[in-house]
Amino acid sequence: MTAFLIENIAPIMFFSLIVLMLLGFPVAFSLAANGILFALVGMELDLLSPSLLQVLPQRVFGIMMNDVLLALPFFTFMGLLLERSGMAEDLLETVGQLFGPIRGGLAFAVIAVGALLAATTGVVSASVISMGLISLPIMLRYGYDRSVATGVIAASGTLSQIIPPSLTLIILADQLGRPVGDMYQGAIIPGLVLTGAYMLYVAFIALLRPRKAPSLPTEVMAGRTDKGRSGARSLLVAFIIGSMATWIGMSLLVDPEATRGARIVLSLSGWSLVVFAIACVDRLLSLNLLSQIAQRTIFAMVPPLTLIFLVLGTIFIGVATPTEGGAMGALGALVLALAKQRLNLARFQQAMEATMRLTSFAIFILVGSTVFSLTFRAVNGDLWVEHLLLNLPGGEMGFLIFVSVFVFIAAFFLDFFELAFIVIPLIGPVAETFGIDMVWFGVLIAVNMQTSFMHPPFGLALFYLRSVAPARDYADKVTGQSIARVTTGQIYRGSIPFICIQLAMVILVLMLPEMVTHYKAAHVHDVDPGSVEINVGGADYGSGSPFD
Amino acid sequence: MTALLHISRAIDGMNMVLGRILPWAVIIAVLVSAGNALSRKFFQVSSNAWLEAQLYLFGVIFLLPAGYTLLKNGHVRVDILASKLPRRVQLWIEILGVVFLMFPAVLLIVWYGIPNFVASFESGETSPNAGGLARWPAKLLVPLGFGFLLLAGLSHLIKCVGFLMGRCPDPMQPAGSSEEEELMQELKAELTKADDEEGDKK
Repeated sequence: MTAFLIENIAPIMFFSLIVLMLLGFPVAFSLAANGILFALVGMELDLLSPSLLQVLPQRVFGIMMNDVLLALPFFTFMGLLLERSGMAEDLLETVGQLFGPIRGGLAFAVIAVGALLAATTGVVSASVISMGLISLPIMLRYGYDRSVATGVIAASGTLSQIIPPSLTLIILADQLGRPVGDMYQGAIIPGLVLTGAYMLYVAFIALLRPRKAPSLPTEVMAGRTDKGRSGARSLLVAFIIGSMATWIGMSLLVDPEATRGARIVLSLSGWSLVVFAIACVDRLLSLNLLSQIAQRTIFAMVPPLTLIFLVLGTIFIGVATPTEGGAMGALGALVLALAKQRLNLARFQQAMEATMRLTSFAIFILVGSTVFSLTFRAVNGDLWVEHLLLNLPGGEMGFLIFVSVFVFIAAFFLDFFELAFIVIPLIGPVAETFGIDMVWFGVLIAVNMQTSFMHPPFGLALFYLRSVAPARDYADKVTGQSIARVTTGQIYRGSIPFICIQLAMVILVLMLPEMVTHYKAAHVHDVDPGSVEINVGGADYGSGSPFD
Repeated sequence: MTALLHISRAIDGMNMVLGRILPWAVIIAVLVSAGNALSRKFFQVSSNAWLEAQLYLFGVIFLLPAGYTLLKNGHVRVDILASKLPRRVQLWIEILGVVFLMFPAVLLIVWYGIPNFVASFESGETSPNAGGLARWPAKLLVPLGFGFLLLAGLSHLIKCVGFLMGRCPDPMQPAGSSEEEELMQELKAELTKADDEEGDKK
């Protein structure tokens, strides 16, 4: 019995963790208790030193001194403030008006706004709730297929998992030990390709099944010019002028050796500034060269673009650490919310309180997991996991496929923080042993987790959409028609095509690591530490490594 | 039992007060951190003391409200299976969980955390970075935060037993509405208002 226990203490510890977690007691404490229980067992069996647990307060102190994790409250706070600033409403309304006359236009608008919200608020629940309350009734009113409408909203809401400056990517970068900036650069292309794939799917529906995604009747479009034009033309002209000015400005002013990320962010912000200037001049001088809708679109789009610049730009250019970028973003969001007069003291306090609560429970999972892994490592549990995973059939690819499937399934039971703080520390070192690029690995995990957000029946995006979609038949307020309720089955069916797109994306990231690993190009100008020779004459003091 | 419930109420009152004061640390941390970035960029001034201050504030943000978060039923659970169990069984799991899972872990960290703080305080330990802060306030946060958590756990235990005896309301219901619900309410209110205004125009 004792011999069996000694032999198999790591697997026993792992499975007892699963049982304890399923009891439904807060995970942070189950993790910690499991760690302590097996530390005592290990001490009893003379496997472990009795002083093992004395380091625990110091470990908690170490978590406190982790600069990257401080980004967690900052980005959460920024998202909560923006949620209340009315940005989502403004964007959905104007972009919806703009795309409305095209077939499938509202669906395109939802995807575009979803991507923009993803890059600013970064909260799945907030995006889905806003889009479900604002866009879904309009889509139902004009006869969108219910599954198409709900699927687009749920999927677009999950984009915030993968499009930088996502909180997911920060935590993954921290747990995998890679710079947050690299993780952002690596995730940009998969995020944009995914957005494009959603749009392609909607275009496909609009072309082949026009009845499922109709255009809006022209008479309902507010803000039309007297001649009945949509007003999109003047917006297009403003955009083209903006692009040209940005291109000229970029080639004159910006160092051609700047990294790709820095150039993307700089052009984006330059472009939005030029377009914003055009709109301001037009309004102040009452030139009315721009249509009303063009002006409103510009005024709705520039604040989020500026915020993205503030956050991503300062990180990519190297002005700020990711944490400081988050602080700047939170400050920007605060100014924006104040400028829109959407903030009062009570709401401000609510946002801070919610931020604090989220930070506390998230970091406590990490504290619990730290206690767990202290013992788990001491009983060589990490070697056990490594041994299991290294011997999977198919070597590196087999491991990656296993991880994808595992994360996909585990995400049904665990939320993001649990996955990041419990599962990633177990599989990360194995990926490292395989020599897998850790940023690529992180992005792959992020896409997998994103999928699980929209997977029936537990997907969070579906859950929030269900809670805001009409559960009863209702009379539409504009047309007075009776509109049937949205069934849960319709929501589930709607997610299926997007899950397929998502799986295709996982395979694409697996087959084409270049989509992610291009971030390394940003480092070619860095000095290779291996090639540096330092010749210092004189006394040879202090040249030894601190680790010798 | 009545005396115990009084103790529980006193503990909850203390954690509620913390829950009102501590959120302000969030905005202070934001200002300190943004200030660090800006002063480094524009004035080439960088202070290790301020860089460390933001980390101490991080400690304040996640450690000290641990008890408050427990009070608000905010610590994440894997309740896919457990939520299907009868209410009384869930309460029993909760009671056993507090006694056998939570207390040992929390007590241990408080137990080892106090001498850790005392040693740092008495030796006048400061950070190894030039111009860094004294270390003892950060080390004090660990036993302090876990101490609040321990008290909140005690109060939670009393309330769970009290509920099973029919002496107090169910402690596992979240006290306030969630952030998501509030957003929903607010958006709905705004949308109805906009619709009404449109209706008035017609």
